[in-house]
Amino acid sequence: MIRTEHLKKHFGNVVAVEDVSFSAADGTVTGLLGPNGAGKTTSLRMMYGLVKPDTGSIQIDGHDAVANPLAAQACLGVLPDQSGLYPRLTPREHIRYFANLQGVTGDELEGRMQSWLEVLDLKSVADRRVGGFSHGERTKVALARALIHNPRNILLDEPTNGLDVVSTRAVREVIRRLKAEKRCVVFSSHVMQEVSALCDRIVVIARGRVVAEGTAEELLASTGRTTLEDAFVTLVGPRGEAA
Amino acid sequence: MSALKMMIVVARKELMDGMRDRRAIYTLIFSSLFGPALIAFMFTQLAGQERAAQEIQIPITGRANGPLLVHWLEQQPGVQVVDGPAKAEAAVRDRSQEFVLVIEKEFAEKFRDSRPAPVQLVSDSTRQSSRPKVKRLESLLNRFNSQMGALRLMARGVSPLVASALKIEDVEISNAAQRAATIFSFIPLFLIAAAFSAGMQIATDATAGERERFSLEPLLINPVPRWQLVGGKWLAAAVAAIVGMAGTLVITAYALSRMSLEDLGVRFHLGVAECLLVFAAVVPMALVAPAVQIYLACFAKTFKEAQSYMAYVLLAAMLPGLLSTFYPITDRPWMRPLPLLGQYILATDILSGKIPSPLAFVGSAAFGIAAAVLFLWLATRLFYSEKIIFGR
Repeated sequence: MIRTEHLKKHFGNVVAVEDVSFSAADGTVTGLLGPNGAGKTTSLRMMYGLVKPDTGSIQIDGHDAVANPLAAQACLGVLPDQSGLYPRLTPREHIRYFANLQGVTGDELEGRMQSWLEVLDLKSVADRRVGGFSHGERTKVALARALIHNPRNILLDEPTNGLDVVSTRAVREVIRRLKAEKRCVVFSSHVMQEVSALCDRIVVIARGRVVAEGTAEELLASTGRTTLEDAFVTLVGPRGEAA
Repeated sequence: MSALKMMIVVARKELMDGMRDRRAIYTLIFSSLFGPALIAFMFTQLAGQERAAQEIQIPITGRANGPLLVHWLEQQPGVQVVDGPAKAEAAVRDRSQEFVLVIEKEFAEKFRDSRPAPVQLVSDSTRQSSRPKVKRLESLLNRFNSQMGALRLMARGVSPLVASALKIEDVEISNAAQRAATIFSFIPLFLIAAAFSAGMQIATDATAGERERFSLEPLLINPVPRWQLVGGKWLAAAVAAIVGMAGTLVITAYALSRMSLEDLGVRFHLGVAECLLVFAAVVPMALVAPAVQIYLACFAKTFKEAQSYMAYVLLAAMLPGLLSTFYPITDRPWMRPLPLLGQYILATDILSGKIPSPLAFVGSAAFGIAAAVLFLWLATRLFYSEKIIFGR
């Protein structure tokens, strides 16, 4: 369960996030939809505790992510903007390192790792250094390492960006699985099809503000359009600027 | 998990990562071997020069002018007389000869008349390597001088003792022993170099390298206090620095044990006990060096940028030691607490045969650890900076 209220953040003179409030319930997939530079990544970074909001509050499973980021982080699994892997380590070593940092060790860790390697089809490359991996393989390793501690809440920043069809399907499969396990999934995207295919709720962000929120049907109804793309363009403006 | 366990988790990963980095391995090996190799080389050179001085070849120009002197020289052990060049000064200047003894034309005549007979010893005092030989030749000439003088006095019925106003007892610290001591003073310098170079790759890769690969962001999302992450990275680099320093020390001691230093007038022996003392003296450096490196490397956006900073750090760290070989450091109380300088002085004391008090060890370690903690605290602050985490 994630709840954000009136998040605001500026960098120098640039206001990255003006006013972002939304909530994401357990067992649902929430999509943050918005054009590039709308403030999606900054909003997510505030939620996972690496950027301090100027004002506003974030609750993750009841933990205040601003005042007590470590407690909030313990309930989170995050796939950031950049996978950020260590080229000289293998997938197994990546997963083991982050599991240990999350306090997961021993047989519990090895069992979970085995099942994630199978689900993400990484078994054949599990003991190879990731230096030569494809973008898809890297994303899958980063995903496995983010989920190894069974977090209740999952934040994914443009998870399918630049992935091929097979890897995209694998990531979607994981998102559906997490939803079936009654976890709270939030992911950001600027791709309409992606959001409409996976999300129960859509939060449209433009120029640092939430401009609309609801199911795909609700967004169509409120804008009076027939396709989600038209609805999106209506909401964020023709040049990606909110009306 | 406790803080220490977290730091060990991080350190284990950084060491594993570092051990797979060829550059890190090469620097570790190179930094452990460079110092001992240079010290061994210098001692071999010194021993060679000493041996060369004992067996001396004397080029003499104008042999025919002083057959008595030439004959006397040939009688001396280890001396071989050869014909000198016609132009003695030119030969020494163009370095075809290290030195030349010139016996002048009027030598025989003046010698016969018991007047001072002229000889020239042509040498270049700026040439280090020829110095022991020139000294040997000078002392040979002095002996000839006093022996002949004594004989002449006796021939005139005067005791030669009358001519000796002084009885000079020879207690000189030989030139070789002094230079051997100078070589010993390089050991602490190489230990500083090892402390800074052995952990350098890990210190930079774990900070600037993380920034360059964008891996700092996912790392910091884990619910681990940042000082523990910094501490773990420091622990890994410190382990490498300690290994590099211990390697340098052990290899130096081994190399020295294979040489006969007694022949050079060296009384100090770098045995197991001395090694342990020196190690105890310098180990705080291996704690300070990675802390400084981690702090500074945080400012670099890429591994390469960080490496260029590290070169200056190494140079700055070696500067006091380097200067002290030219301008001997007078040990002042205020120097002892200073990181690096304090340990340098302590190690130099031990290597010159003094045993410092236990308090000196504890003090240097305490100040060293305090300096390391300070830099780690500063580095931890940087790990909270959004500019450092995301800044490109």
